Amino acid sequence: MKARRIRSAGRLNTKGVGELYLLNFLIRRFLQGAVVLLIVSFAIFALLRVVPGDPARLIVGGMAPDEVVVQKAEELGLNDPLAVQYLRYLGDFSRGDLGNSFFRPKSGATVGAAAYDDPSRDERAEVLDLIIERIPLTLQLAGLSVVFALIISFPLGVAAGLNPGKWQDRLAFFSGSIFVSLPNFWLGIVLAQLFSVRLGILPSIGYKGFEYTILPALVLAIGISPFIIRTLSVSIAQIMREEFITVAPLRGLGQARIVCAHAIRNASIPLLNLFGIQLGMLLGGVLVVELIFDYPGLGRLTINAVLQRDFPIIQGVAIFISAIFVFINIAVDLAASFIDPRLEY
Amino acid sequence: MKFDRRQFLKSSAMASVVLSGSMINRGFFSSSAFAAQNKPINFLSAENLTGNWDPTSHTTLGQINLESFVFGYLTRAPMTPEYPDEIVYELAESMTLIDEHTLEFKLRKGVKFHSGEPFTANDVKATFEYASQPDRPAAWYPGQCRVDVIDDHTAHVNTKEFGYPASLFWFLSAFLPIMSAKDVADTKTLSSRPNGTGAFKFVKQDGNTTVLEANPDFLGGTPKVPGINFTFVGDATTRMLSLLSGEADIIERLEGEQVETISGKEGFVVNEAVSVENKYLWFRCSKPPFNDWRLRRAVAHAIDRDLILEVLGVSGTPSNAWVSPVKFGYVDTPNYPKYDPELCQKFLAEAGFPGGRGLPKLEYITSVGFYPKTKEYGEVITAMLQEQGFDVEFSAMEIAAWADRLYDRPGGGPGHMIDCGWATGSPEPDLVLRTHFHSSSKRICGIEDPELDAVLDKERGTTDPDQRRRVIQYEVMPMLADKVPSLSLFTSVFIHAMREGLEGIYIYPNGMMDASEAANT
Amino acid sequence: MSDVHAIQHLETPHPSQPKLTPTQRMLREAWSSSAFRVGFFIFVLLLFGALIYPELTSIDPTKMNVRARLMPPMFLGEGWSWVHPLGTDQLGRDLLLRCLVGLRYSVLIGCATVVLMFFVGCGLGLVSGFKGGFTDTIIMRVTDAQLSIPMIILAITILGVSRPTVPAIILVLGLSGWPLYARVARSAALAEKGKEYIKGERVLGASDLRIILRFLAPAILPPIAFVAVLDVASIMIFESILGFIGLGIQPPTPTFGNIIADGRKYLINAWWIATMPGMFLLITLTSLNLMGSAMESARNSVLKGAA
Repeated sequence: MKARRIRSAGRLNTKGVGELYLLNFLIRRFLQGAVVLLIVSFAIFALLRVVPGDPARLIVGGMAPDEVVVQKAEELGLNDPLAVQYLRYLGDFSRGDLGNSFFRPKSGATVGAAAYDDPSRDERAEVLDLIIERIPLTLQLAGLSVVFALIISFPLGVAAGLNPGKWQDRLAFFSGSIFVSLPNFWLGIVLAQLFSVRLGILPSIGYKGFEYTILPALVLAIGISPFIIRTLSVSIAQIMREEFITVAPLRGLGQARIVCAHAIRNASIPLLNLFGIQLGMLLGGVLVVELIFDYPGLGRLTINAVLQRDFPIIQGVAIFISAIFVFINIAVDLAASFIDPRLEY
Repeated sequence: MKFDRRQFLKSSAMASVVLSGSMINRGFFSSSAFAAQNKPINFLSAENLTGNWDPTSHTTLGQINLESFVFGYLTRAPMTPEYPDEIVYELAESMTLIDEHTLEFKLRKGVKFHSGEPFTANDVKATFEYASQPDRPAAWYPGQCRVDVIDDHTAHVNTKEFGYPASLFWFLSAFLPIMSAKDVADTKTLSSRPNGTGAFKFVKQDGNTTVLEANPDFLGGTPKVPGINFTFVGDATTRMLSLLSGEADIIERLEGEQVETISGKEGFVVNEAVSVENKYLWFRCSKPPFNDWRLRRAVAHAIDRDLILEVLGVSGTPSNAWVSPVKFGYVDTPNYPKYDPELCQKFLAEAGFPGGRGLPKLEYITSVGFYPKTKEYGEVITAMLQEQGFDVEFSAMEIAAWADRLYDRPGGGPGHMIDCGWATGSPEPDLVLRTHFHSSSKRICGIEDPELDAVLDKERGTTDPDQRRRVIQYEVMPMLADKVPSLSLFTSVFIHAMREGLEGIYIYPNGMMDASEAANT
Repeated sequence: MSDVHAIQHLETPHPSQPKLTPTQRMLREAWSSSAFRVGFFIFVLLLFGALIYPELTSIDPTKMNVRARLMPPMFLGEGWSWVHPLGTDQLGRDLLLRCLVGLRYSVLIGCATVVLMFFVGCGLGLVSGFKGGFTDTIIMRVTDAQLSIPMIILAITILGVSRPTVPAIILVLGLSGWPLYARVARSAALAEKGKEYIKGERVLGASDLRIILRFLAPAILPPIAFVAVLDVASIMIFESILGFIGLGIQPPTPTFGNIIADGRKYLINAWWIATMPGMFLLITLTSLNLMGSAMESARNSVLKGAA
């Protein structure tokens, strides 16, 4: 009964100093998160300066005379030392200004009288607006794909975890192997060809309503589900061998109750951890899937920005995503410590 | 290879995808209530816009295509292979060469810009004088020029003080969008939205889509379709799936396999047009080893262009000159370098590298994602060169990285050979020849050769069109064939595919379009 | 942790069968199951195919034959031939050979990347979980930082600056993947270090390094190593995303990612090009799974016999 003892001790502990502990945890982690973000944003900023593709040259076009390029670089402040450029960026950032896209014009807005002295900057769309415009669509896509992934993975993963070595286990591994062997753009094209072109059941290219999210989300879900299946089956199998589970029937608990109350509850910690991490995988998939389905989200924005070398957008999106990562991981750790107070965070 | 339904069924089964039922109504997106009416045309572009609406600020084909809907041109050039020099008047009513340095345009009356300004000779003056400035990035103009306004509807393009013949504007007039004088005076406004006299007005930019609506005051009458949605979709497969699923009405830049797929289905039309675009293999002529013409010739004779065309399928057509067959002055150059391994070895030996021994590693750069099949035929070219003993390293780069390396720079551009196409929507050959091979411009290859300069100057200075054509055909092209600063691999065929319901759209050989007469049901 | 107990059991030889170690018995037991034999047979066949066949055959994987391009695999569609059992690609190269050579490169990329992630990630994760406190905070925040730099940024930087070669791609994928292992190893180490036997070792005065290497690592690694197989597979496919953006390994080197990314355009007309690498991967995984599960049940029965 070792594990149970520790668990109840943990509970007591949480109740006693729980709130203070929580507040302390949050403050500490948010401060650390801010530091991490600062480092990451500088890293991204610096990395993007190394990437081939001179922004000034790209803006004015390949055939522009060199003087024009030099002038443009001066205008954009590209000749200043990196640290100066970064501090300037941070300054703007703190005022909620992520800069303006190099290429994207503001949505149709006609700029009125020549009130600005720097035409190249103010006619361009604000990166922040571009991101905010697209984030709901990408969240919708990511959210739906996680739901799909869980729907696919839970029956397979839990069944496999409860029956290690039996056919359920093999089925889970085999379906996982199939899913992992399907490249996402392969699957995207096949599904679009099948459902949109051949059968005409589901639209998929572009975005005119919620139904356009379904196929892309399915493709993403299939991409991440092998990992969820694997994590679920491995951790449930492991937990089912733990003492507090094996003795549970002796305490008169039914199989369903054991699985739901203990096994899945405990298996959800590695699952949460996985989510904090697989988000990166999900994002890699989002890039491809949004491009294939012409889905107007962050992924398509990023790919197009990368292909155009629209550095302010790449930078803005990257820093934005980093922030999401950092805070999701704080949330994951927090949630994990609620589920299992043994874990020290 | 033919693709049929059974094969798809098999392939789906292989991939453990369950396929059930047969083809159901494809048009589930469009409500039948509107079927009789004209709908806006959804066009999917393969290239992104620059975001700067000033037509003189870029050379982006995608945006030039969009401009062809919005802007008016003095003339239009349909450029069919049968009549490459045909000219149709649009904003101009006539065009007369008064003397060597003066070209007169009589302008159409009663035309208005979308902003409401009337179109006059002042707009032509503003456009030409602004756009011909040497610092304008597009640089389509043969040189600076002055425009004399004779009256509201007569303009004289005057090139006297800049020392080149005004006849060069003859064909160019079909390619230069006319801007409003008021916009040119305020470049801020000019670059913030397109404003022309074309059949469609700019409404807004909505994400990747540019929304245009019909211009009721268009000089050719109100277009039948209410508008055009011009959307950038970078991926060729996505564009095709879009068309097939009914989201798009017309798409561009199809490749051979896609043409096969689409022509196998009912309800779609494929439009193939020999384009103004030639694809070239450019040599970096300003640095070793390709500063030696013998080595360039050796490469040219090592490449079997028939095989490249085989890879390209319908997207390419043979051409034996440095301009496309739809351009003024095209000729099947008699001494155009042909595949000839023996000659290749001979030139290699003469250049001091018998069998390729002693040659440095040569980098061959190409782009992926825009031009059809660059990576595929790039691999073929690499293999053919390696067969002759060239040590070639092939780099297929994404567009931005490639574009960054494209142009010549002091000391020679990056790499040793680079793949690029050149498309200008005018029959004017100097937009290619002088731009690339005259030492005053030499965009990509960086060649500086007094003999070439002399023959190009002679060609530009010849006013009589027939005589000029002869100079191009019998002097310029043969010299290029001897010196090969670049090898023209083939002429692109631009392929558009559209729904059958879309009728009456005219597609120019550079991808520009005229939808003023189009109907879309 | 059951694995630890299992290892302890395994280390005590059974008196009734003195000649065979438990491992040998386990292998013998596994070999007797047909599932293991089938899996083993397929695996050996693939290994032979990838390592030896390309050297033996007269066909060159980079040899193009433009006029024989897009030939379908055997028995599927018109115009197939025995010479190219899996058909040809967009330049008329033999797809079977390209897949086999691609399998080599992809296994190299996949394994090297996972090994890189594994060592960096597990090393840091173990230290972090075991030491706790300030070390833990620093390491985990570095992990967060690395985790939150999107892979595409690393890809366009590293692959944009240098030519995309196999080591560069391994670096990109490995760099963006190690935090996963660090976090998993850390939480496993946290759970493990509270256990009695570790506390006991500490009381006995074992050094940190010794505890980590001798006790924590063996306890944690088997489950992680088991799951790493799936990562190898997913990286082999994930590499195609780089090819998709135009940052893949340069031709003519075939990798699964390359073949898939280049074959994508032909998917509707020549489905086999982009599909075959996935099929190979599936077969490989299935053979590994067959062997793995046979081994596991063999181990269980050996353990039962021992108990």
